[in-house]
Amino acid sequence: MAAIFEDKMKSVQNYGNGIFSRWTLTVAAVGIALPAIATTLRYAEDQAPGIVNPVFTTTMTEARVNELLFEGLYTDNEDLMTTPDLASSIEVAEDAMSAVVTLRRDVVWHDGTGFTAADVVFTINAMQNPETLSTEVGRVEWIEEAEALGDYSVELTFSSPQPSPQDKLNFKILPHSHFNGDAMSRGDSFRTNPIGTGPYRLVQFNDDNSVTFEVFDDYRENIGIDELILREVSDKSYQARLLLYESLEALVRVLPSDLALLQNSRQVELYPYQTNSWWFLGFDETEPPFDDIRVRQAVSQLVDVENLLAPIGTGEILSGPYVKSSPFYNHEVEPWTRNEREARVLLEDAGFTQEGGSWERDGEPLSFTITAHQGLETAQMVVINLQSQLRSKGIDVQTEFLDEAEWKVRVWRERDFDSMLSQWSFDRNEDVYSQLHSDGERNFGGYSNDRVDELLDIARNATDPFDKRHALRLVHELVRADAPMLFLWTLDSYAALSRNTRNVLIHPFYFFTYVGNWRMR
Amino acid sequence: MAVAVLFVLLAIALAPGSAADIVANSSELRDGLTEHWGLDDPFFTRYFRFISALLHGDLGQSLTYRAGEPIVDLVARSAPATMFLVFAALAASISSTFCLAWFTAGRKSLSRSILRALSVAPVFLAAYLAMVIADSWAFHTTLQVGIQPPEWFPLLLNDSNVKVALAVFVLGMGSSAGSEIHSNIESALVEIRRSGYIDAARSRGAKLWPHILRNVAAPLAALTAARVPYFLGGVIVVEKVLHLNGVGAMLWEACRLRDFPLALGITVLSAAVVCSARLIADLIRVAIDPRLRGSK
Repeated sequence: MAAIFEDKMKSVQNYGNGIFSRWTLTVAAVGIALPAIATTLRYAEDQAPGIVNPVFTTTMTEARVNELLFEGLYTDNEDLMTTPDLASSIEVAEDAMSAVVTLRRDVVWHDGTGFTAADVVFTINAMQNPETLSTEVGRVEWIEEAEALGDYSVELTFSSPQPSPQDKLNFKILPHSHFNGDAMSRGDSFRTNPIGTGPYRLVQFNDDNSVTFEVFDDYRENIGIDELILREVSDKSYQARLLLYESLEALVRVLPSDLALLQNSRQVELYPYQTNSWWFLGFDETEPPFDDIRVRQAVSQLVDVENLLAPIGTGEILSGPYVKSSPFYNHEVEPWTRNEREARVLLEDAGFTQEGGSWERDGEPLSFTITAHQGLETAQMVVINLQSQLRSKGIDVQTEFLDEAEWKVRVWRERDFDSMLSQWSFDRNEDVYSQLHSDGERNFGGYSNDRVDELLDIARNATDPFDKRHALRLVHELVRADAPMLFLWTLDSYAALSRNTRNVLIHPFYFFTYVGNWRMR
Repeated sequence: MAVAVLFVLLAIALAPGSAADIVANSSELRDGLTEHWGLDDPFFTRYFRFISALLHGDLGQSLTYRAGEPIVDLVARSAPATMFLVFAALAASISSTFCLAWFTAGRKSLSRSILRALSVAPVFLAAYLAMVIADSWAFHTTLQVGIQPPEWFPLLLNDSNVKVALAVFVLGMGSSAGSEIHSNIESALVEIRRSGYIDAARSRGAKLWPHILRNVAAPLAALTAARVPYFLGGVIVVEKVLHLNGVGAMLWEACRLRDFPLALGITVLSAAVVCSARLIADLIRVAIDPRLRGSK
């Protein structure tokens, strides 16, 4: 705060240089500036946003920036239930194949123009336009057509029944008047001059890769913090120090290794929040040795998961593809526990014998490589621990760490791995179709179970939430038994904020959803 | 320059993954982006397209680092700071080691060992340690006892003169640069001091230093030019570790994000700087050394 006040003073002094005496200006500036001291919250991201346009989002940094600048028709309330944002109401047709969304009339864009139905129709059409090459096209694929019924009413037609379409109408809306034609491009000037309806507007990209956001004065609600500054601090381990040094006011996520440091600080408050993220050790089912379910189950029973988790933080050990607080988590299914005797039986059934401590089949040792992403925090520690555990049980394990591009090529595109340590993060919908359906784009291990496919299809098209929950809990049970992956844990996540910040509530995925209510002393 | 572009493009072709892999979350989108950005065009099509665009002063647009932003703008904004850092480090390194070498050349000296010890740390380690130590010291002696911290604190976030000076020192001395440059200058000085014309000047009772300075200028120019590529390489790490926003840190990110047009643009700039430095060094040598001008 003091720094901002000094900046204001300097700018007033520079402006008045040669006209008034510095002393006179200082007195004047104190008189003018004191009542209007701005509150600023500086937060750290490990990389600056590559593009500020929600249609082209690729990183969580960009998703968080979008949350400040843009709004969707619906959002999450503080209980993570769907609540209107730019919409005021929705009327779903009886057959659930269409809906009419009525829009708020008190919304204006950052450039002062009014928000209308034309913006909603444009956004949906532009995202669906193949020329746009949007990374977010999946969010609107289920909408067949969008038509404006007036300035504040939009009719949406769906390709399949959508009993609760508002749950999916949280994609961000963009102003049609700032684009030419029906498509968007990454080169549009919008990328550096974004216009949204959100509580903050982007002021500028600074030379030091920071980005300044200022409260949008015409926002329909009272916003507590006047200015936000995104600071790029690529060294994650330095972010906690900067918070202690009072050079930042917020960290989105504290590294487990920094928790102790911050817990002991009087300037910092830690905020635990639940993320829909879980770690897993995935197996490639298309190649030996993991094409044999017995080997997958055996390896799952040779791993001491608690021992893997302990050095990297705290969390909950999972038995399936949901976090424990999810309505889809099947609490009757127990995680795999260490059972060497059972693992031995399974491996022997699969044709392996133990020679001199090492497992072999047809003279070939039981050997595989664990592939992990370099950017996955603490993954190195987990992989090495895992390697050590399995080696001590007679399995030869190699390790490799790939950067983002190599990971996408090797794991996503070529599916060239034996096993991989990774993490999936989900929004509120927790849709695991892509990860577990045999046609799923992210089913990298080639998992296939007809019953699971059927249940996932049922869950996707279910009009009754109970049916969906029932189907997905069954999926949980089946997937645990098939062991296409060893489900590991969901880590406890903590944000850290200066104690000057009050009324903080954090969204588990988008972080800044409730930033309007935050206050600073 | 064209050869440099060829080599960089070849390295790019061999690197795993592309900008489309980084951005895309589906195979359909990856294919669309690959086609849209021309990433699957034949090697020489890409090569000649880039050369042709370069001749028109157009380096294209960034794909992933700052999507859609003209590379010329990105580079123009950050290059001056990096060039200042490189040439300031060169100047500091060569002038300081020259002064030291003047006294240590041909003699046993403790200062040579001290310099060697000082410059043995790799630049990334030296930069990181210096930053951590400076920030910790400032924190414990000021903020923690209720005193206003110095303006440069914390080093990581403030682009202060102290941080630039630290970067210049680390780049100029680290990764053995200081001791190697010192050793090269010492060799040149020893050779000059033993030469016939210095003996002649000595026998005439003339001042030796003007002769030595004049004759050491040519090897110094060659040494400076030869060091430019090393410093351009070192500045990538120094800028990244110290959070200085220059083309070095940008090149790091461009490689990480497979933003190949941006990486290519920065490499072309670097190649131009190296070529210019060599040209200037040759001109200086020719201007100083009459033997290199040929006989008439």
